[in-house]
Amino acid sequence: MQRLSLFTKCLIIFVVLWLFLRFFIGSVWSVPLPASVISMYLGLILLAILVHVSVEDDRFREFLRPVKETLADDDRRTRRTVLFVLIPLVMLGLSFSRLSTKADPPAVLRTAHPAPPTELEYRDKVIGLTQEVENPFRHLEKDDTEAFKAHVDNGRRVYYQNCFYCHGDDLDGEGHFAHGFNPPPANFQDPGIIPNYQESFFFWRISKGGPGLPPAATPWDSAMPVWEDHLTEEEIWDVILFLSEYTGYRPRTFGEAAH
Amino acid sequence: MKTKVVTILTLLIACVYVTTAAAAGGNEEVESLVFPASYKAMSVSNGGTISGMVKFDGTAPEMKKLEITKDVQVCGKTDKFDESIVLGEGNGLKNTIVYLTDISSGADFPSDAKYEIDQKGCHFNPHVRLLPVGKRLTMINPDRINHNVHIFSSMNPAFNKSQPGTRRKMNVKAVKKAEGPVAVKCDVHGWMKAWIAYIPHPYFAVTDENGKYTLENVPPGTYKLAYWQEACGTNKAEPVSVTVEAGGTVTQDFTLALK
Amino acid sequence: MKKQSYNTMLISVAGLILLLAVFPIPVLAQGKQAPAASEEGKVLYEDKCAHCHGVDGAGDGSAAENLLPRPRDFTRGLYKIRSTESAQLPTDQDIFDIISNGMPGSSMPAWGEILTENEQWQLVAHIKTFYDGFEDASPRLIDVSDKVPYSEESVTKGKEFYTNLGCVDCHGVVGRGDGTSAPDLTDEWGFRTWPANLWEQWNYRGGSTTEDIFKRFIGGIAGSPMPSFISSFRLGLTDEESARMNELELKMDGEGLSEAEEEEYAGLEEKLFMFEDIMLNVEEGVELTPEEQTKLDTALKPIFEKSWHLANYVKSLGPEERPQAAVGDKVLRSQYREGTLPGMNDEAWNEIKEASYFPLVGQIVIDPRQFNPSIDSVMAKSFYNDSEIAFLFAWDDRTKTLPQADDETGETVEDALAIQFPVKISEGPTDPKPYFIYGDRRPVYLWSWKVAEPSTVTEMNAKGINTATVQSDQSPIQAEGVYKDGQYQLWVKRSLITEDKRNDVQFAPGVFIPIAFSAWDGANGDVNTKRAISTWYTFVLDPVPSNKRFVYPPLIALISVGLLFGLKSSVRRRQDT
Repeated sequence: MQRLSLFTKCLIIFVVLWLFLRFFIGSVWSVPLPASVISMYLGLILLAILVHVSVEDDRFREFLRPVKETLADDDRRTRRTVLFVLIPLVMLGLSFSRLSTKADPPAVLRTAHPAPPTELEYRDKVIGLTQEVENPFRHLEKDDTEAFKAHVDNGRRVYYQNCFYCHGDDLDGEGHFAHGFNPPPANFQDPGIIPNYQESFFFWRISKGGPGLPPAATPWDSAMPVWEDHLTEEEIWDVILFLSEYTGYRPRTFGEAAH
Repeated sequence: MKTKVVTILTLLIACVYVTTAAAAGGNEEVESLVFPASYKAMSVSNGGTISGMVKFDGTAPEMKKLEITKDVQVCGKTDKFDESIVLGEGNGLKNTIVYLTDISSGADFPSDAKYEIDQKGCHFNPHVRLLPVGKRLTMINPDRINHNVHIFSSMNPAFNKSQPGTRRKMNVKAVKKAEGPVAVKCDVHGWMKAWIAYIPHPYFAVTDENGKYTLENVPPGTYKLAYWQEACGTNKAEPVSVTVEAGGTVTQDFTLALK
Repeated sequence: MKKQSYNTMLISVAGLILLLAVFPIPVLAQGKQAPAASEEGKVLYEDKCAHCHGVDGAGDGSAAENLLPRPRDFTRGLYKIRSTESAQLPTDQDIFDIISNGMPGSSMPAWGEILTENEQWQLVAHIKTFYDGFEDASPRLIDVSDKVPYSEESVTKGKEFYTNLGCVDCHGVVGRGDGTSAPDLTDEWGFRTWPANLWEQWNYRGGSTTEDIFKRFIGGIAGSPMPSFISSFRLGLTDEESARMNELELKMDGEGLSEAEEEEYAGLEEKLFMFEDIMLNVEEGVELTPEEQTKLDTALKPIFEKSWHLANYVKSLGPEERPQAAVGDKVLRSQYREGTLPGMNDEAWNEIKEASYFPLVGQIVIDPRQFNPSIDSVMAKSFYNDSEIAFLFAWDDRTKTLPQADDETGETVEDALAIQFPVKISEGPTDPKPYFIYGDRRPVYLWSWKVAEPSTVTEMNAKGINTATVQSDQSPIQAEGVYKDGQYQLWVKRSLITEDKRNDVQFAPGVFIPIAFSAWDGANGDVNTKRAISTWYTFVLDPVPSNKRFVYPPLIALISVGLLFGLKSSVRRRQDT
């Protein structure tokens, strides 16, 4: 069997990676990659291939050899004719469909990890540095289990009077209002949520809500209300205890690296 | 040289790619009647009679006119009023149940009696219906429009069946337990309301339009006599003691005020 | 090997048939029985259910106050969703199914994928302890065996029953829950209840299969105003006899009956009551003779058949699933149209097959809040031309509420809609939009419509939830609002470009423009911030497919041909040299 030319190999690699991005990823994750992201990756792949073939003159010549042969050799006439018809036709089709398709609406995204402000505030009162403030009732877990349970129970009450509309009975983000939001409300049963953040982070997100997000978090249209308008400081800390008690996930503590 | 040009070109292409990709509610509790633990029916001869009058204390409140919101051509022929206080001659109070709380044996219900509630003109008549346990109720609908019979039982299974205009008479299944008074409503015509008391013995009476009542054929003995009235409540905690002699008549009047 | 497995299959099929033969079908249909109540069930109940249904099952958990429909009070044994007849308790399987599937359109979630099957059965067992009546209950099942298949004919018949049996009183003429009795309904606990909007089948509490609808119709929805309609027909009478009875009753109310007619009527009535008596005996728990049973079954057959027609009609009203929200493929695209834009009742609107669906939820950010919105969604269609844009919005509302004092708060409530756009359309994904409820320091532009002035849309601006102000110079906007059969339709037309560019959004083709909605149902107590809202969606004036597509692609093809030949000759030239 004839050895594959460098050009063919590169072509195969390119096509395989395109298929991977276009179809495989979409089937593994439930959401397919947006076309813009795919074309970005393909650009990078093309770049890598071209860099690879062009670093040595010999290799580059080897790479271009089949191209040149096809273009100029007399015994490749048929192939050349086919390509000379096919390539313009493909270009015609692609550019026509490109101009005819409708534009995609902008994607609505959740920012993975918006940066909290340096200082943690409740209403206008500074509680302390976000990196340092701990849940003032967390220590009761060890020191006074009865009192701790009372805080968790209060958090449960707060949760089911305010939060479960969106975040759900089972804290899974599937409350009966959830269908009205895009992106959907946070799912606290997702192992990637609670263990990755400190309690002060939750305090910030709950007390300041969507309007408290930094500009860098755009385009995340968080519908999270500003709960400090409705809840006391203690109620917010209590509901954070409840989130962790109910799900069994512990928020990250200081000094512990995020997963 | 050539390779450099190609590399720079590919880098440029890549850059272009990367940058372009990118209530109301809460029914008030209805005070229930007092029923004996068991009741034995037997033949009573030479029984006595308890009779009297229930008077309303104070000036008669103005009867609230009910708003007829639909089927006006049928329901609006006559004005409808809130019937919680209906007064007759001498301030006699209609629709008060007067009954013996502690009788354990006595006469049976008359076998030929019929128990009906008429819905003519979208109004329940009578407003208070005594219905022996084990007897069926006949609902009459001469209106030729849709009613539904909704009985708010809780000891017995709650009942709610439709009685459209084509069901001029509809019988309702008998219940097994003494209970009441329970509300009867027609949800189609929200203003329609009446009461049913499922009674285990015949020593219950409902006062007539002049507040008069009679309990006949009472075996001689001493009994506790109580009343229940929709708006004035009940004296079941402190019933009146009456002694009935064979063939005699005892008179017991009551004077009731709003709760 | 293959043969063996074939045999195993044969044996199991035979076994199954045997089982089916041994147990009468109704027993199988009852499904599984709950285990005995256990501590495990109690603990689980208190963790998962008590916050709504209360520790003692009285429907009075801490969350209950803000919920409508209220969480069920289990102490009275009243279960809405049952496979059993009227005034009967549910089967264990019924309770299990509700736990497992939840109750769409209410706050009851589906626990089927959260709890194990065993855990759900433990809950069934615990819930039953709240009501004594379960101890000796053997509820009678609704017979669903003679289902009438869906057909146009069946739907037509069903529609007739829908109209004649009084369904319209609550559910309205076309079924949007807008019947004349609808505004006054309460449940047995005295809480406000709304009749189902039969078009929104995704909100049917007990599911929206034809069987589900049939069971609600035969069994009623206990505790709610929805009665059993099995009594709606004259049991045991033929259609002819029933029609004759109607005739006689009409005459009775009019000129009166002759002696012969009176006798005839009495005869019909007697027949009816004979069958009714058998039925009542069943309800009272009296054992029937086989002869009576046959009679009853025969008499019920045509009633069930009619009820299936009705169920098929209700089924025909709407899609089972909630429509997909107006994002991605379903984004609202205003269609380009040459010449005058269609008016309110123009047939042209039907050219857009599918209206875009914008789901609404309660506004629970700012007090006073709306925890129980009654408006499910706003639907929208749009056309534009070179100078103007027209929208047709539609939203279901069970009541037309002109300005009036609210029963509870005394505030003036009325039905209204506000359509919200940002004043400045953000440039690119990293440029923030205004806050989704009436903006923030980035202002929003609003079209405010109120039922009292149905032909007026007022331009407003807002820079925060309570800051909406009417613009001093109003751009000319045409509007027309109509309420019909439980649905509002609002037509709005404005020029693409206005003079007041500082305060008005400017519409341009090809740009994705954020849009959001607020809707007020006066009868639901909606006023000011208490209302139903949507978050931001986007819509676009779909660019006219430009003629460029007939110019550039051939050009590109030509250029590529040129390039290829150029490359060829250049390679050849080099080879030659």
